[in-house]
Amino acid sequence: MLGLLASILDGVLIGAVYGLAAMGITLIWGVMDVVNLTHGAMIVAGMFGTYLFVSAVGVPVYATLPAVLVGGFLAGVALYWIAVHRVIGQPPLMSLLSTFAVNLVLVGVGTAVWGTDLFNVPASLPGFSLGRYTFPGTHIMAAVLTAAIAAALYLFLYRTRTGKAVRAVSGNREAAELVGIPTARVLALSFGLGTTLACVAGMLIATMFPFTVLSGDAYQLKSFVVTVLGGLGNPTGALVAGIALGLLEGVTTPFVPVSWTLVIEFVLFVVVLIALPGGLMQLWQRR
Amino acid sequence: MSALLEVEGLSKDFGGLRAVDALSFSVREGAILGLIGPNGAGKSTVFNLINGVFAPDQGRVVFRGEDITGKPPYRVARHGLARTNQIVQPFANMSVLENCTVGACFGRENLSLARAREAAREAAALVGLDDRLDALASQLTIAGKKRLELARALAARPTLLLLDEVLAGLNPTEVEHMIGIIRTIRDSGVSILMIEHLMQAIMSLSDSIVVLNSGAKLAEGLPAEVANHPAVIEAYLGDPDLAAKLRAA
Repeated sequence: MLGLLASILDGVLIGAVYGLAAMGITLIWGVMDVVNLTHGAMIVAGMFGTYLFVSAVGVPVYATLPAVLVGGFLAGVALYWIAVHRVIGQPPLMSLLSTFAVNLVLVGVGTAVWGTDLFNVPASLPGFSLGRYTFPGTHIMAAVLTAAIAAALYLFLYRTRTGKAVRAVSGNREAAELVGIPTARVLALSFGLGTTLACVAGMLIATMFPFTVLSGDAYQLKSFVVTVLGGLGNPTGALVAGIALGLLEGVTTPFVPVSWTLVIEFVLFVVVLIALPGGLMQLWQRR
Repeated sequence: MSALLEVEGLSKDFGGLRAVDALSFSVREGAILGLIGPNGAGKSTVFNLINGVFAPDQGRVVFRGEDITGKPPYRVARHGLARTNQIVQPFANMSVLENCTVGACFGRENLSLARAREAAREAAALVGLDDRLDALASQLTIAGKKRLELARALAARPTLLLLDEVLAGLNPTEVEHMIGIIRTIRDSGVSILMIEHLMQAIMSLSDSIVVLNSGAKLAEGLPAEVANHPAVIEAYLGDPDLAAKLRAA
Protein backbone atom coordinates (compact mmCIF):
# COMPACT_ATOMS: atom_id res chain seq x y z
CA MET A 1 0.00 0.00 0.00
CA LEU A 2 2.77 2.38 0.94
CA GLY A 3 4.45 1.36 -2.30
CA LEU A 4 1.43 2.45 -4.33
CA LEU A 5 1.21 5.72 -2.43
CA ALA A 6 4.88 6.39 -3.08
CA SER A 7 4.40 5.58 -6.76
CA ILE A 8 1.43 7.94 -6.97
CA LEU A 9 3.26 10.78 -5.23
CA ASP A 10 6.25 10.35 -7.50
CA GLY A 11 3.88 10.32 -10.48
CA VAL A 12 2.43 13.64 -9.33
CA LEU A 13 5.92 15.18 -9.12
CA ILE A 14 6.74 14.05 -12.66
CA GLY A 15 3.27 14.97 -13.88
CA ALA A 16 3.82 18.57 -12.85
CA VAL A 17 6.60 18.73 -15.44
CA TYR A 18 4.27 17.30 -18.11
CA GLY A 19 1.91 20.07 -17.10
CA LEU A 20 4.68 22.66 -17.55
CA ALA A 21 5.39 21.44 -21.07
CA ALA A 22 1.68 21.41 -21.90
CA MET A 23 1.28 24.97 -20.64
CA GLY A 24 3.61 26.00 -23.44
CA ILE A 25 1.45 24.33 -26.08
CA THR A 26 -1.78 25.61 -24.63
CA LEU A 27 -0.46 29.17 -24.34
CA ILE A 28 0.54 29.26 -28.01
CA TRP A 29 -2.73 27.67 -29.10
CA GLY A 30 -4.78 30.01 -26.94
CA VAL A 31 -3.10 33.16 -28.21
CA MET A 32 -2.66 32.40 -31.92
CA ASP A 33 -4.55 29.18 -32.76
CA VAL A 34 -1.34 27.47 -33.86
CA VAL A 35 -0.70 23.80 -33.12
CA ASN A 36 2.99 24.07 -32.38
CA LEU A 37 4.79 20.96 -33.59
CA THR A 38 8.22 22.42 -32.79
CA HIS A 39 7.40 21.76 -29.15
CA GLY A 40 9.09 18.35 -28.98
CA ALA A 41 12.21 19.67 -30.66
CA MET A 42 12.36 22.54 -28.17
CA ILE A 43 11.96 20.14 -25.25
CA VAL A 44 15.01 18.31 -26.64
CA ALA A 45 16.76 21.65 -27.14
CA GLY A 46 16.23 22.30 -23.44
CA MET A 47 17.70 18.88 -22.60
CA PHE A 48 20.77 19.31 -24.80
CA GLY A 49 21.21 22.96 -23.89
CA THR A 50 21.40 21.93 -20.26
CA TYR A 51 23.69 19.01 -21.06
CA LEU A 52 26.11 21.15 -23.08
CA PHE A 53 26.14 23.95 -20.54
CA VAL A 54 26.78 21.59 -17.64
CA SER A 55 29.53 19.65 -19.41
CA ALA A 56 31.21 22.71 -20.96
CA VAL A 57 31.08 25.16 -18.06
CA GLY A 58 30.88 22.63 -15.27
CA VAL A 59 28.20 24.46 -13.32
CA PRO A 60 25.60 22.59 -11.29
CA VAL A 61 22.60 21.68 -13.39
CA TYR A 62 20.10 24.07 -11.76
CA ALA A 63 22.42 27.01 -12.37
CA THR A 64 21.63 26.65 -16.06
CA LEU A 65 18.01 27.67 -15.47
CA PRO A 66 18.46 31.38 -16.32
CA ALA A 67 20.32 30.48 -19.51
CA VAL A 68 17.61 27.98 -20.48
CA LEU A 69 14.88 30.57 -19.82
CA VAL A 70 16.55 33.28 -21.86
CA GLY A 71 17.78 30.95 -24.62
CA GLY A 72 14.38 29.31 -24.94
CA PHE A 73 12.66 32.67 -25.17
CA LEU A 74 15.00 33.99 -27.85
CA ALA A 75 14.77 30.74 -29.81
CA GLY A 76 10.97 30.93 -29.65
CA VAL A 77 10.85 34.53 -30.85
CA ALA A 78 13.19 33.62 -33.72
CA LEU A 79 11.05 30.57 -34.59
CA TYR A 80 7.98 32.78 -34.64
CA TRP A 81 9.39 35.26 -37.16
CA ILE A 82 10.93 32.51 -39.29
CA ALA A 83 8.23 29.88 -39.40
CA VAL A 84 4.99 31.09 -37.88
CA HIS A 85 4.37 34.79 -38.56
CA ARG A 86 3.56 34.36 -42.25
CA VAL A 87 1.02 31.61 -41.64
CA ILE A 88 -0.87 33.39 -38.86
CA GLY A 89 -4.52 33.68 -39.84
CA GLN A 90 -4.11 31.04 -42.56
CA PRO A 91 -5.89 27.68 -42.37
CA PRO A 92 -4.58 25.58 -39.43
CA LEU A 93 -2.95 23.08 -41.78
CA MET A 94 -0.43 25.75 -42.84
CA SER A 95 0.99 26.34 -39.39
CA LEU A 96 0.84 22.64 -38.67
CA LEU A 97 3.00 21.89 -41.72
CA SER A 98 5.30 24.82 -41.14
CA THR A 99 6.05 23.92 -37.51
CA PHE A 100 6.30 20.23 -38.45
CA ALA A 101 8.92 21.14 -41.07
CA VAL A 102 10.93 23.08 -38.49
CA ASN A 103 10.66 20.12 -36.14
CA LEU A 104 12.06 17.76 -38.82
CA VAL A 105 14.93 20.13 -39.55
CA LEU A 106 15.87 20.54 -35.89
CA VAL A 107 15.64 16.84 -35.10
CA GLY A 108 17.59 16.05 -38.29
CA VAL A 109 20.40 18.42 -37.36
CA GLY A 110 20.41 17.07 -33.81
CA THR A 111 20.66 13.49 -35.05
CA ALA A 112 23.51 14.41 -37.39
CA VAL A 113 25.47 16.04 -34.58
CA TRP A 114 24.78 13.82 -31.58
CA GLY A 115 23.47 10.61 -33.12
CA THR A 116 20.78 8.81 -31.20
CA ASP A 117 22.83 7.81 -28.15
CA LEU A 118 21.47 8.11 -24.64
CA PHE A 119 22.63 11.15 -22.69
CA ASN A 120 22.56 11.92 -18.99
CA VAL A 121 22.76 15.15 -17.08
CA PRO A 122 24.50 14.60 -13.75
CA ALA A 123 22.10 15.89 -11.14
CA SER A 124 22.06 14.79 -7.56
CA LEU A 125 20.02 16.25 -4.76
CA PRO A 126 19.25 14.64 -1.41
CA GLY A 127 15.98 12.76 -1.65
CA PHE A 128 13.11 12.54 0.77
CA SER A 129 12.52 9.23 2.49
CA LEU A 130 9.17 7.72 3.31
CA GLY A 131 9.69 4.37 5.00
CA ARG A 132 11.49 2.12 2.51
CA TYR A 133 10.81 4.51 -0.34
CA THR A 134 12.88 7.52 -1.35
CA PHE A 135 11.63 10.29 -3.60
CA PRO A 136 14.56 11.49 -5.69
CA GLY A 137 15.54 15.08 -4.92
CA THR A 138 15.50 15.87 -8.63
CA HIS A 139 11.81 14.97 -8.87
CA ILE A 140 10.94 17.18 -5.92
CA MET A 141 13.03 20.04 -7.30
CA ALA A 142 11.35 19.65 -10.72
CA ALA A 143 7.89 19.97 -9.16
CA VAL A 144 8.95 22.95 -7.04
CA LEU A 145 10.44 24.79 -10.01
CA THR A 146 7.33 23.99 -12.07
CA ALA A 147 5.11 25.46 -9.39
CA ALA A 148 7.27 28.59 -9.23
CA ILE A 149 7.25 29.06 -13.02
CA ALA A 150 3.51 28.42 -13.26
CA ALA A 151 2.90 31.02 -10.54
CA ALA A 152 5.16 33.50 -12.31
CA LEU A 153 3.30 32.92 -15.58
CA TYR A 154 -0.04 33.44 -13.83
CA LEU A 155 1.12 36.71 -12.26
CA PHE A 156 2.48 37.85 -15.62
CA LEU A 157 -0.73 37.10 -17.51
CA TYR A 158 -3.14 38.58 -14.95
CA ARG A 159 -1.22 41.33 -13.17
CA THR A 160 0.98 43.05 -15.75
CA ARG A 161 0.21 45.33 -18.68
CA THR A 162 2.01 43.09 -21.14
CA GLY A 163 0.23 40.06 -19.74
CA LYS A 164 -3.11 41.77 -20.25
CA ALA A 165 -2.08 42.52 -23.82
CA VAL A 166 -1.35 38.81 -24.33
CA ARG A 167 -4.78 37.90 -22.98
CA ALA A 168 -6.46 40.61 -25.03
CA VAL A 169 -4.84 39.28 -28.21
CA SER A 170 -5.92 35.81 -27.18
CA GLY A 171 -9.49 37.06 -26.74
CA ASN A 172 -9.77 39.03 -29.98
CA ARG A 173 -6.75 39.85 -32.12
CA GLU A 174 -8.46 42.48 -34.34
CA ALA A 175 -9.93 44.35 -31.41
CA ALA A 176 -6.57 44.25 -29.64
CA GLU A 177 -4.88 45.87 -32.63
CA LEU A 178 -7.58 48.56 -32.70
CA VAL A 179 -7.04 49.56 -29.06
CA GLY A 180 -3.34 50.09 -29.72
CA ILE A 181 -1.69 46.72 -29.07
CA PRO A 182 1.05 45.74 -31.54
CA THR A 183 -0.38 42.27 -32.04
CA ALA A 184 2.44 40.82 -34.16
CA ARG A 185 4.91 41.56 -31.37
CA VAL A 186 2.56 40.09 -28.78
CA LEU A 187 2.32 36.90 -30.83
CA ALA A 188 6.11 36.69 -31.06
CA LEU A 189 6.37 37.23 -27.30
CA SER A 190 3.79 34.50 -26.64
CA PHE A 191 5.56 32.07 -28.92
CA GLY A 192 8.77 32.88 -27.05
CA LEU A 193 7.11 32.19 -23.71
CA GLY A 194 5.60 28.92 -24.94
CA THR A 195 8.98 27.82 -26.22
CA THR A 196 10.65 28.79 -22.94
CA LEU A 197 8.22 26.54 -21.10
CA ALA A 198 9.13 23.67 -23.45
CA CYS A 199 12.85 24.23 -22.89
CA VAL A 200 12.55 24.40 -19.11
CA ALA A 201 10.40 21.27 -19.14
CA GLY A 202 13.14 19.63 -21.23
CA MET A 203 15.77 20.70 -18.72
CA LEU A 204 13.79 19.32 -15.80
CA ILE A 205 13.09 16.03 -17.60
CA ALA A 206 16.82 15.77 -18.35
CA THR A 207 17.56 15.96 -14.61
CA MET A 208 15.23 13.00 -14.03
CA PHE A 209 15.60 10.64 -16.99
CA PRO A 210 18.17 9.81 -19.67
CA PHE A 211 17.31 11.17 -23.11
CA THR A 212 18.17 11.06 -26.81
CA VAL A 213 17.74 13.48 -29.68
CA LEU A 214 14.54 11.63 -30.51
CA SER A 215 12.98 11.90 -27.03
CA GLY A 216 10.99 14.96 -28.05
CA ASP A 217 8.24 13.13 -29.92
CA ALA A 218 7.12 11.08 -26.93
CA TYR A 219 7.03 14.13 -24.64
CA GLN A 220 5.31 16.21 -27.30
CA LEU A 221 2.59 13.57 -27.61
CA LYS A 222 2.20 13.54 -23.86
CA SER A 223 1.97 17.33 -23.87
CA PHE A 224 -0.84 17.21 -26.40
CA VAL A 225 -2.74 14.66 -24.32
CA VAL A 226 -2.33 16.89 -21.29
CA THR A 227 -3.31 19.99 -23.27
CA VAL A 228 -6.56 18.40 -24.37
CA LEU A 229 -7.24 17.03 -20.89
CA GLY A 230 -6.81 20.51 -19.48
CA GLY A 231 -8.90 22.21 -22.15
CA LEU A 232 -7.23 23.89 -25.14
CA GLY A 233 -5.94 27.33 -24.30
CA ASN A 234 -6.23 26.96 -20.53
CA PRO A 235 -2.81 27.13 -18.76
CA THR A 236 -4.17 26.31 -15.30
CA GLY A 237 -6.05 23.36 -16.78
CA ALA A 238 -2.84 22.17 -18.43
CA LEU A 239 -0.99 22.12 -15.13
CA VAL A 240 -3.81 20.30 -13.34
CA ALA A 241 -4.13 17.82 -16.20
CA GLY A 242 -0.38 17.21 -16.23
CA ILE A 243 -0.51 16.33 -12.55
CA ALA A 244 -3.54 14.11 -13.23
CA LEU A 245 -1.67 12.29 -15.98
CA GLY A 246 1.36 11.80 -13.72
CA LEU A 247 -0.96 10.48 -11.04
CA LEU A 248 -2.44 8.02 -13.53
CA GLU A 249 1.05 6.85 -14.48
CA GLY A 250 1.87 6.48 -10.79
CA VAL A 251 -1.18 4.31 -10.24
CA THR A 252 -0.58 2.09 -13.24
CA THR A 253 3.19 1.53 -13.15
CA PRO A 254 3.17 -0.93 -10.22
CA PHE A 255 0.60 -3.10 -12.00
CA VAL A 256 1.24 -3.06 -15.74
CA PRO A 257 4.34 -3.19 -17.96
CA VAL A 258 5.66 0.25 -18.98
CA SER A 259 4.72 -0.32 -22.62
CA TRP A 260 1.05 -0.21 -21.62
CA THR A 261 1.32 3.28 -20.17
CA LEU A 262 0.98 5.05 -23.53
CA VAL A 263 -1.93 2.79 -24.48
CA ILE A 264 -3.77 3.69 -21.30
CA GLU A 265 -3.01 7.37 -21.73
CA PHE A 266 -4.34 7.48 -25.26
CA VAL A 267 -7.46 5.56 -24.40
CA LEU A 268 -8.04 8.19 -21.73
CA PHE A 269 -7.35 10.87 -24.34
CA VAL A 270 -10.08 9.52 -26.62
CA VAL A 271 -12.52 9.12 -23.75
CA VAL A 272 -11.97 12.73 -22.66
CA LEU A 273 -12.36 13.99 -26.23
CA ILE A 274 -15.75 12.30 -26.39
CA ALA A 275 -17.06 12.91 -22.89
CA LEU A 276 -15.47 16.25 -21.98
CA PRO A 277 -14.42 18.07 -25.15
CA GLY A 278 -13.67 21.19 -23.09
CA GLY A 279 -11.20 19.32 -20.87
CA LEU A 280 -11.18 18.27 -17.23
CA MET A 281 -11.70 21.85 -16.05
CA GLN A 282 -15.21 21.64 -17.51
CA LEU A 283 -16.13 19.61 -14.42
CA TRP A 284 -15.45 22.64 -12.22
CA GLN A 285 -16.93 25.25 -14.50
CA ARG A 286 -20.24 23.45 -14.76
CA ARG A 287 -21.01 24.20 -11.15
CA MET B 1 -12.46 75.75 -35.21
CA SER B 2 -9.72 73.91 -37.02
CA ALA B 3 -9.86 70.52 -38.71
CA LEU B 4 -8.92 67.60 -36.46
CA LEU B 5 -9.06 64.96 -39.15
CA GLU B 6 -8.58 65.63 -42.84
CA VAL B 7 -9.23 63.01 -45.47
CA GLU B 8 -7.90 63.99 -48.89
CA GLY B 9 -8.67 62.17 -52.14
CA LEU B 10 -8.94 58.75 -50.52
CA SER B 11 -9.40 55.82 -52.94
CA LYS B 12 -9.42 52.06 -52.47
CA ASP B 13 -10.01 49.26 -54.98
CA PHE B 14 -10.94 45.73 -54.08
CA GLY B 15 -10.14 43.52 -57.08
CA GLY B 16 -11.27 46.05 -59.69
CA LEU B 17 -14.20 47.24 -57.64
CA ARG B 18 -13.81 50.84 -56.48
CA ALA B 19 -14.95 50.77 -52.85
CA VAL B 20 -13.92 54.33 -52.05
CA ASP B 21 -13.52 56.93 -54.78
CA ALA B 22 -11.48 60.13 -54.33
CA LEU B 23 -13.20 60.95 -51.08
CA SER B 24 -12.35 64.13 -49.18
CA PHE B 25 -13.86 65.50 -46.00
CA SER B 26 -12.78 66.83 -42.65
CA VAL B 27 -13.89 66.59 -39.05
CA ARG B 28 -13.78 69.80 -37.04
CA GLU B 29 -12.60 69.80 -33.46
CA GLY B 30 -15.44 69.23 -31.01
CA ALA B 31 -17.95 68.33 -33.71
CA ILE B 32 -19.96 65.28 -34.66
CA LEU B 33 -19.75 64.37 -38.35
CA GLY B 34 -22.24 61.82 -39.62
CA LEU B 35 -21.35 59.52 -42.49
CA ILE B 36 -24.42 58.11 -44.20
CA GLY B 37 -25.22 56.30 -47.42
CA PRO B 38 -27.01 53.24 -48.76
CA ASN B 39 -25.75 49.76 -47.90
CA GLY B 40 -22.47 49.01 -49.64
CA ALA B 41 -21.65 52.69 -50.13
CA GLY B 42 -18.23 52.11 -48.57
CA LYS B 43 -18.76 53.67 -45.16
CA SER B 44 -17.04 50.97 -43.11
CA THR B 45 -14.23 50.83 -45.68
CA VAL B 46 -13.64 54.55 -45.07
CA PHE B 47 -13.23 53.77 -41.36
CA ASN B 48 -10.86 50.94 -42.18
CA LEU B 49 -8.77 53.28 -44.35
CA ILE B 50 -8.66 55.95 -41.66
CA ASN B 51 -7.47 53.71 -38.88
CA GLY B 52 -5.13 51.59 -40.93
CA VAL B 53 -6.90 48.26 -41.27
CA PHE B 54 -6.38 48.76 -45.02
CA ALA B 55 -3.86 51.04 -46.69
CA PRO B 56 -5.50 53.34 -49.26
CA ASP B 57 -4.47 53.09 -52.92
CA GLN B 58 -4.50 56.87 -53.17
CA GLY B 59 -4.99 59.83 -50.89
CA ARG B 60 -3.95 60.94 -47.44
CA VAL B 61 -5.31 60.82 -43.92
CA VAL B 62 -4.08 63.68 -41.76
CA PHE B 63 -4.86 63.62 -38.05
CA ARG B 64 -3.98 66.63 -35.89
CA GLY B 65 -1.63 67.85 -38.56
CA GLU B 66 0.20 64.52 -38.79
CA ASP B 67 0.08 62.22 -41.81
CA ILE B 68 -1.14 58.84 -40.55
CA THR B 69 -1.84 57.30 -43.97
CA GLY B 70 -1.17 53.57 -44.02
CA LYS B 71 0.08 53.34 -40.44
CA PRO B 72 -0.88 50.06 -38.75
CA PRO B 73 -4.03 50.22 -36.57
CA TYR B 74 -2.18 50.03 -33.26
CA ARG B 75 -0.11 53.12 -34.15
CA VAL B 76 -3.19 55.02 -35.27
CA ALA B 77 -4.85 54.15 -31.96
CA ARG B 78 -1.88 55.62 -30.11
CA HIS B 79 -2.36 58.92 -31.91
CA GLY B 80 -5.66 59.24 -30.04
CA LEU B 81 -8.04 57.87 -32.63
CA ALA B 82 -10.31 55.22 -31.14
CA ARG B 83 -12.93 53.11 -32.88
CA THR B 84 -15.90 50.92 -32.13
CA ASN B 85 -16.87 48.08 -34.43
CA GLN B 86 -20.12 47.50 -36.22
CA ILE B 87 -20.08 43.92 -34.97
CA VAL B 88 -19.09 44.04 -31.30
CA GLN B 89 -15.66 42.61 -30.58
CA PRO B 90 -15.19 42.38 -26.82
CA PHE B 91 -12.32 40.47 -25.22
CA ALA B 92 -14.76 37.73 -24.27
CA ASN B 93 -12.35 36.10 -21.79
CA MET B 94 -12.04 39.27 -19.71
CA SER B 95 -14.26 41.21 -17.33
CA VAL B 96 -15.84 44.54 -18.23
CA LEU B 97 -13.26 46.37 -16.14
CA GLU B 98 -10.37 44.50 -17.73
CA ASN B 99 -11.70 45.18 -21.23
CA CYS B 100 -11.70 48.89 -20.51
CA THR B 101 -8.36 48.72 -18.71
CA VAL B 102 -6.74 47.21 -21.78
CA GLY B 103 -8.28 50.01 -23.83
CA ALA B 104 -6.80 52.59 -21.49
CA CYS B 105 -3.40 50.92 -21.20
CA PHE B 106 -2.48 50.93 -24.83
CA GLY B 107 -4.34 53.93 -26.15
CA ARG B 108 -3.15 57.49 -26.49
CA GLU B 109 -1.83 58.02 -22.98
CA ASN B 110 -0.05 54.71 -22.48
CA LEU B 111 -1.13 54.62 -18.83
CA SER B 112 0.23 52.41 -16.07
CA LEU B 113 -2.02 49.58 -14.95
CA ALA B 114 -3.30 51.38 -11.84
CA ARG B 115 -4.08 54.61 -13.66
CA ALA B 116 -5.55 52.70 -16.58
CA ARG B 117 -7.96 51.04 -14.15
CA GLU B 118 -9.14 54.47 -13.00
CA ALA B 119 -9.68 55.63 -16.58
CA ALA B 120 -11.51 52.35 -17.23
CA ARG B 121 -13.86 52.93 -14.27
CA GLU B 122 -14.63 56.44 -15.48
CA ALA B 123 -15.36 55.23 -19.00
CA ALA B 124 -17.55 52.39 -17.70
CA ALA B 125 -19.46 54.83 -15.49
CA LEU B 126 -20.03 57.18 -18.40
CA VAL B 127 -21.77 54.47 -20.44
CA GLY B 128 -23.64 53.12 -17.42
CA LEU B 129 -21.75 49.87 -16.98
CA ASP B 130 -20.36 50.68 -13.53
CA ASP B 131 -22.55 48.07 -11.88
CA ARG B 132 -21.27 45.29 -14.15
CA LEU B 133 -17.52 45.85 -13.79
CA ASP B 134 -16.74 42.28 -12.75
CA ALA B 135 -19.04 40.57 -15.25
CA LEU B 136 -17.38 38.67 -18.08
CA ALA B 137 -17.79 40.50 -21.38
CA SER B 138 -19.33 37.37 -22.90
CA GLN B 139 -22.13 37.50 -20.32
CA LEU B 140 -23.40 40.94 -21.35
CA THR B 141 -26.50 41.48 -23.49
CA ILE B 142 -26.09 42.96 -26.98
CA ALA B 143 -26.87 46.42 -25.61
CA GLY B 144 -24.32 45.83 -22.85
CA LYS B 145 -21.68 44.74 -25.35
CA LYS B 146 -22.33 47.82 -27.47
CA ARG B 147 -21.82 50.00 -24.44
CA LEU B 148 -18.69 48.06 -23.51
CA GLU B 149 -17.34 48.59 -27.02
CA LEU B 150 -17.86 52.32 -26.53
CA ALA B 151 -16.40 52.33 -23.00
CA ARG B 152 -13.28 50.46 -24.13
CA ALA B 153 -12.71 53.03 -26.87
CA LEU B 154 -13.35 55.92 -24.48
CA ALA B 155 -11.03 54.57 -21.79
CA ALA B 156 -8.13 55.38 -24.09
CA ARG B 157 -9.17 59.04 -23.78
CA PRO B 158 -9.16 59.60 -27.54
CA THR B 159 -9.44 62.95 -29.26
CA LEU B 160 -11.46 61.44 -32.11
CA LEU B 161 -13.90 58.59 -31.85
CA LEU B 162 -15.04 56.58 -34.88
CA LEU B 163 -18.44 55.03 -34.15
CA ASP B 164 -19.58 52.33 -36.57
CA GLU B 165 -23.32 51.79 -36.07
CA VAL B 166 -23.37 51.87 -32.28
CA LEU B 167 -27.17 52.17 -32.38
CA ALA B 168 -27.83 49.15 -34.59
CA GLY B 169 -29.60 46.31 -32.82
CA LEU B 170 -30.72 48.41 -29.85
CA ASN B 171 -34.35 48.89 -28.83
CA PRO B 172 -35.83 52.44 -28.74
CA THR B 173 -35.13 52.94 -25.02
CA GLU B 174 -31.54 51.80 -25.44
CA VAL B 175 -31.14 54.01 -28.51
CA GLU B 176 -32.31 57.01 -26.51
CA HIS B 177 -29.86 56.18 -23.72
CA MET B 178 -26.99 55.75 -26.20
CA ILE B 179 -27.77 59.07 -27.91
CA GLY B 180 -27.50 60.73 -24.51
CA ILE B 181 -24.14 59.06 -23.95
CA ILE B 182 -22.84 60.19 -27.35
CA ARG B 183 -23.85 63.79 -26.58
CA THR B 184 -22.09 63.62 -23.23
CA ILE B 185 -18.96 62.36 -24.92
CA ARG B 186 -19.04 65.18 -27.47
CA ASP B 187 -19.62 67.75 -24.74
CA SER B 188 -16.56 66.43 -22.91
CA GLY B 189 -14.51 67.58 -25.91
CA VAL B 190 -14.14 64.40 -27.94
CA SER B 191 -14.84 64.78 -31.65
CA ILE B 192 -16.90 62.06 -33.27
CA LEU B 193 -17.15 60.59 -36.75
CA MET B 194 -20.10 58.25 -36.92
CA ILE B 195 -21.75 55.86 -39.34
CA GLU B 196 -25.40 55.26 -38.63
CA HIS B 197 -28.46 53.90 -40.37
CA LEU B 198 -30.98 55.32 -37.92
CA MET B 199 -31.71 58.53 -39.81
CA GLN B 200 -33.55 60.36 -37.09
CA ALA B 201 -30.75 59.73 -34.64
CA ILE B 202 -27.90 60.78 -36.89
CA MET B 203 -29.74 63.83 -38.20
CA SER B 204 -30.33 65.11 -34.70
CA LEU B 205 -26.86 64.23 -33.38
CA SER B 206 -24.63 65.43 -36.22
CA ASP B 207 -23.29 68.93 -36.70
CA SER B 208 -22.76 68.10 -40.34
CA ILE B 209 -23.29 65.14 -42.65
CA VAL B 210 -21.39 63.55 -45.50
CA VAL B 211 -23.42 61.35 -47.85
CA LEU B 212 -21.61 58.52 -49.57
CA ASN B 213 -22.83 56.64 -52.62
CA SER B 214 -20.81 53.97 -54.43
CA GLY B 215 -17.70 55.09 -52.58
CA ALA B 216 -17.90 58.73 -53.69
CA LYS B 217 -19.18 61.81 -51.90
CA LEU B 218 -22.69 62.65 -53.01
CA ALA B 219 -23.41 65.59 -50.76
CA GLU B 220 -22.14 67.39 -47.71
CA GLY B 221 -23.61 69.94 -45.36
CA LEU B 222 -25.86 70.61 -42.41
CA PRO B 223 -28.34 67.81 -41.69
CA ALA B 224 -31.27 69.88 -42.98
CA GLU B 225 -29.47 70.78 -46.20
CA VAL B 226 -28.46 67.21 -46.87
CA ALA B 227 -31.93 65.84 -46.19
CA ASN B 228 -33.42 68.07 -48.90
CA HIS B 229 -30.61 67.63 -51.40
CA PRO B 230 -32.11 66.26 -54.64
CA ALA B 231 -29.18 63.94 -55.36
CA VAL B 232 -29.41 62.44 -51.89
CA ILE B 233 -33.11 61.80 -52.20
CA GLU B 234 -32.51 60.23 -55.58
CA ALA B 235 -29.78 57.95 -54.21
CA TYR B 236 -32.16 56.75 -51.55
CA LEU B 237 -35.06 56.32 -53.97
CA GLY B 238 -34.16 52.67 -54.37
CA ASP B 239 -35.17 52.59 -50.74
CA PRO B 240 -38.28 54.84 -50.61
CA ASP B 241 -38.70 54.12 -46.94
CA LEU B 242 -35.34 55.68 -46.17
CA ALA B 243 -36.06 58.66 -48.41
CA ALA B 244 -39.23 59.34 -46.47
CA LYS B 245 -37.37 59.10 -43.19
CA LEU B 246 -34.75 61.53 -44.48
CA ARG B 247 -37.39 64.10 -45.20
CA ALA B 248 -39.15 63.53 -41.92
CA ALA B 249 -35.96 64.00 -39.90
